[in-house]
Amino acid sequence: MSVHGDGQANPVIRLSEVHKHYDTGPLDVHALRGIDLEIYPGEFVAIMGPSGSGKTTLMEIMGCLSRPSLGDFRLNGRNVEEISANGLARIRGEEIGFVFQSFNLLPRLSLIENVELPLVYRRVGRRERRDRAVTALARVGLDHRARHSPMEISGGERQRVAIARALVNAPSLLLADEPTGNLDSVTGDEILKLLHTIHAEGATVVIVTHDRTIGEQAERQLAIRDGLIAGDRERR
Amino acid sequence: MLANAMRQAVRLLWAHKTRALLTMFGLVWGTASVIFLVSWGHGVTAMLETGFFRAGKNMGEVWAGKSSEQFSPAVDRRYLWFTLDDVVRLRNRARLPEVIGAETWEMLPITFRQRAHTVDIRGIDPETLEIRGVRMAAGRGITRADLEHRRRVVVLGHRIRSRLLAGEGQIDSWVRIAGKPFRVVGLLERVGTQLSRDRMEIDEQAWIPITTLQTGWPSWWTDDEVVTKILYRMRDRSLLEETEAEVRAILAEGLGVSADDEEAVGIWSAIEMLNRIPLDELSGFLFILAAATLLIGGVGILNMMLDSVHERRHEIGLRLAIGARRNDVVMQFFLETFAIIVIGGLVGVAFGVLACLALAQVQVDDLIPVPVFQLDIVFVTLAILGFVGMAAGVIPAWRAARVDPASMLRME
Repeated sequence: MSVHGDGQANPVIRLSEVHKHYDTGPLDVHALRGIDLEIYPGEFVAIMGPSGSGKTTLMEIMGCLSRPSLGDFRLNGRNVEEISANGLARIRGEEIGFVFQSFNLLPRLSLIENVELPLVYRRVGRRERRDRAVTALARVGLDHRARHSPMEISGGERQRVAIARALVNAPSLLLADEPTGNLDSVTGDEILKLLHTIHAEGATVVIVTHDRTIGEQAERQLAIRDGLIAGDRERR
Repeated sequence: MLANAMRQAVRLLWAHKTRALLTMFGLVWGTASVIFLVSWGHGVTAMLETGFFRAGKNMGEVWAGKSSEQFSPAVDRRYLWFTLDDVVRLRNRARLPEVIGAETWEMLPITFRQRAHTVDIRGIDPETLEIRGVRMAAGRGITRADLEHRRRVVVLGHRIRSRLLAGEGQIDSWVRIAGKPFRVVGLLERVGTQLSRDRMEIDEQAWIPITTLQTGWPSWWTDDEVVTKILYRMRDRSLLEETEAEVRAILAEGLGVSADDEEAVGIWSAIEMLNRIPLDELSGFLFILAAATLLIGGVGILNMMLDSVHERRHEIGLRLAIGARRNDVVMQFFLETFAIIVIGGLVGVAFGVLACLALAQVQVDDLIPVPVFQLDIVFVTLAILGFVGMAAGVIPAWRAARVDPASMLRME
């Protein structure tokens, strides 16, 4: 059960009046038009909306991949506006784990090397890197295939490796963008089950999806439409 | 970090073998060209030196000409000549030449049994023998005793020996020079094509004692025993001009002309000739040509890497998303480009060096330039490679740094 709204815990994510414009020449796209949102530690949130609703833009801002044009975004209490580009890179590496629709494993690296990558950028030593990557792979049940190439495994397995990569730094926030979009329903369910397990172990998870059945499995569902939050409800 | 970049670079090349091979070809060719062409330039220099020095290493030749001063209203020019006294004076006083020799010549018929040839007969002394530096194939050279006793002995050059004696004669055979009998005491080894010579090449000459020539064929315009040429070997080839000045001053004094009269005392040296040939310009030209090829090879790699950045912008976005700083990405692409150029360059260096060493093994009889490999060119090439690698590495890195990390999600 989440504890938000009572001031008992500090939110992981806090957006107030967040706007985002894309100035692409003649076309001025107003992707977010004033989002107010708080996500607390241990929540499992699904963000739902049709394509073009602004959910990907919201995901980018929460993941520190881009900054709001207007408004205030605090991640774990710090104002992102005041953090340098390198500081944001460090936050992406240490506090946020990304899971993408198309997995985004580097095909020229082995599975374990893919999982190690975030640790490389944190300048973690070789041996510790190996140990932590093996642990993360074990958590998704793929430690026995550590030396394989991403080309040699199935889509579901690839997504599990991507999740291992997202978990290797023990982030406070796991962001998943259509994590089952490229998978069949059976495999997709497995991935969702894995995300729920990770959530049960204490992680904060945010999933972006346009699939209502997936969204309905989340504790809290946010609907986005035309750059605004159109609904915020909790599953009872 | 560099080792990691090397590994990445090798993987990258392996992933696109054909493209990499085609692109690397330009770089390999360019690098090998620098090594090969510069070495070949050294080879041309070496060949020219060999060719010029076959008449005598670091040698200067002196002849007496005409005085350029006006002696009287009636005679405005006076013909001059040297004698053995001039040679002795030069030997006693000159400091810069190492050895000083005398030479006098005549074109005379030489006969053996039924064969006759008109040959460049040179009257020489033991010092000239030393300056020419030709090795004896058999027998002995001309000695001081030969000069004192004005002996009728002859040393034959390689080609005239085979044409005249033709396997029937040898050391101690008797030949006739303009009817006078001479004993063959020595045979010269083959010298080969000379790039500098006066009249015939050494291979076609016959050498006799200078005093014998002076007695047997005296000059018709004077009673003096004329020396056609004085030869000397420099102590040091860098002292070319100083040596010339010293020799000219001493000889001019004997002839009674001014010490700097270049018409009265003419001096020629193959070194002057070598210095005048634009060998440095040739080397420089070859170097620039080859270095340009190398640069173009670098541009090929640059192009490939720009392509690669474009193809891998997704990967770059991912790396940024999972915690890479821009500097990490910049460094990665810079080092990958650098590593590819270094790998291609090292292959090129290996090819270039091997080509040089292989060609240097080929035995050529005559004057054909063969690459002369020197280690310093490898360092120069590596320096250029480093420069090309730096220059070519910066641009893809800069391009990679401009990838927007947010594009990661949008390209799905």
